[in-house]
Amino acid sequence: MLTIPVLLQLTVDGITRGAMYGLMATGLAFIFGVLRIINMAHGELFMLGAYVMYFVTVGVGLPVAAGMIIAAASLFLVGVALERSLISPLRTRLGDNWLIDGYVLTIGVMVVLQNIALIAFGAREYGVAGFWPGRQEIGGLVIANERLLILAEAAVSFAILGLFLSKTDLGRAIRATADNTDAARVLGIDARSIYTITFGIGAALAGLVGAILLSTYPAYPTVGGDILLKAFVVVIVGGLGSIWGAMLTGPLLGVIEAFSTAFASGGWQNTVISALVLSVLVLRPQGLFGRQVTRP
Amino acid sequence: MTHRPTPKVPESWEWFGLAFLLLFMACVPALFGGRYVPTVFTSILLFFILGALFDFMLGYLNIVNFGIAGFLCAGAYASALASKFWGVSPWTGLAIGGLASLLVGLFTGLLTLRLRGIYVGLTSLFVMETLRFGISNARDITRGVSGLTVGIFPPITGISFSRSNPLAYYYLLLILVVIAYATLEVVVRSKIGLVFRAIRDDDIGVSVLGLDVVRYKLLNFGIASFFVGVFGAFYGNYLGILVPTPQEFGIERTVEILTIAYVGGRGTLWGSLLGAIALIGISEVLRDINQWRLVIYGCFLIFVILAFPGGLAGAVRHVALKFHLWLGAGRYEIAGAKETTIRSKGGPMP
Repeated sequence: MLTIPVLLQLTVDGITRGAMYGLMATGLAFIFGVLRIINMAHGELFMLGAYVMYFVTVGVGLPVAAGMIIAAASLFLVGVALERSLISPLRTRLGDNWLIDGYVLTIGVMVVLQNIALIAFGAREYGVAGFWPGRQEIGGLVIANERLLILAEAAVSFAILGLFLSKTDLGRAIRATADNTDAARVLGIDARSIYTITFGIGAALAGLVGAILLSTYPAYPTVGGDILLKAFVVVIVGGLGSIWGAMLTGPLLGVIEAFSTAFASGGWQNTVISALVLSVLVLRPQGLFGRQVTRP
Repeated sequence: MTHRPTPKVPESWEWFGLAFLLLFMACVPALFGGRYVPTVFTSILLFFILGALFDFMLGYLNIVNFGIAGFLCAGAYASALASKFWGVSPWTGLAIGGLASLLVGLFTGLLTLRLRGIYVGLTSLFVMETLRFGISNARDITRGVSGLTVGIFPPITGISFSRSNPLAYYYLLLILVVIAYATLEVVVRSKIGLVFRAIRDDDIGVSVLGLDVVRYKLLNFGIASFFVGVFGAFYGNYLGILVPTPQEFGIERTVEILTIAYVGGRGTLWGSLLGAIALIGISEVLRDINQWRLVIYGCFLIFVILAFPGGLAGAVRHVALKFHLWLGAGRYEIAGAKETTIRSKGGPMP
């Protein structure tokens, strides 16, 4: 069983799956790095993205790329609205002591979004079979086209995000705010807008992942819970608030998961992952790529 | 102008209120009898004490135990399995449930309590989910999702604990709740409770004073875990069947407990009783539109955090304070500058 093609196949499978965990976790790490809250509603933003994708591509019949752009854009707006209406007032009132309350606030958002989706769409699963059926064979390596698509989309998203953060003024301002909010304010950065935009981008990433993964995870109200746990694993292992950490840990986690699914009987991969999280918390609580600030 | 201490409601009022609530909780189910009222009151009591235990960690040490339903699960399954495989009496099972949950708590606490902020919440979430998946997978032992049946408490002093007798379960729970709540109050009002609050407000400052912050956090976490396990064991016997679903022992149960603690008012312990009465009362009234129940919980939670940080307990305290000041208004006006004497001695928790 341990032949080179099998190992390669598992690695490729793992990286594809993990790239999505990484993208999902990047949004989480991004929001944590700048706003200092864990967004418990992140899984629900993923869910909303999946619904938007379904209704745009299957319902209206627009092409896949349009679906992804619309999903990301509408989730950006949702994120901005959430930040402005709920999170920003709380931050204004509580200042620095707001960490725990912000966390619980997003739990409230999670519950409301999840159950409103349940009422609006029912427990039915809205899914698609695949956007690009078929598969490619490259030197004995078989990859489903859907996987290639996901991989390409992950690479493009990471590249755009990386360029945005390192090359544009807004990206630099976001990083400055994450590093030191007070210093950023002194330099004339409007921290409040940065918070809103950051939350919007984080939400857009979650929506984008929800849209891309529609063929794997159909849209239903509690779909976000599972993927949120995966994103948490990535964020803890990679280091809270570290964007590069999340990007690198995602594929790593995917590979570990693929191997443990292949070599251990069902259900064990959860134990392996939990053991990984716990050992990171004991041995290196700041995460494998740990710094406590966002610095791509 | 000199600094004026915030006036507070006299402590005796608080004890009076608590005694009244206890009397209310003790009498109403017996007066109504039947099945419905005792069942609803059992939920209220159970959620009250779980909310208070959550608040014991959250309101006094800022520990968000997002896996509290996992501790409930550990207690319930430990007691049920001990009774199934070793024939342990459910009465001993209450202690076994507590100890099992305490073990899980110490494990989680040792791993995370030395870290600050959000790690406890995230890790306890993992512990909860791992436990739940483990129980679902180990079908040979726990019967997984098909459900583990749990026996009833054997009769004690001639009182039968058959499931057709909800009042017996209710009063058993009431006794357990009073014991647990009294323990929490004693701890909170002792010197240890003072250290808890000091750590909550400034953990570095406390460690500079030479106190072991982690040990105090672990003590708090351990006490709470133990009691959650005891009530888990009770819950198993009360329900009669255990199924590891998210509604019972997962994220949804945690959210319910957390909402009750928040809506009731953090850092008060007794606030959770108001929270439990309000939220369970609402969901009983709205039984027909059950699907809106969690939406209402969520909106309540958001509203309380944003607009009403003291929760219901804060509102009650505010009204009581106004009343107190109104009663004493004449006196203090005559006393003029001595208005600082409004402050009660000792005083309740902030």
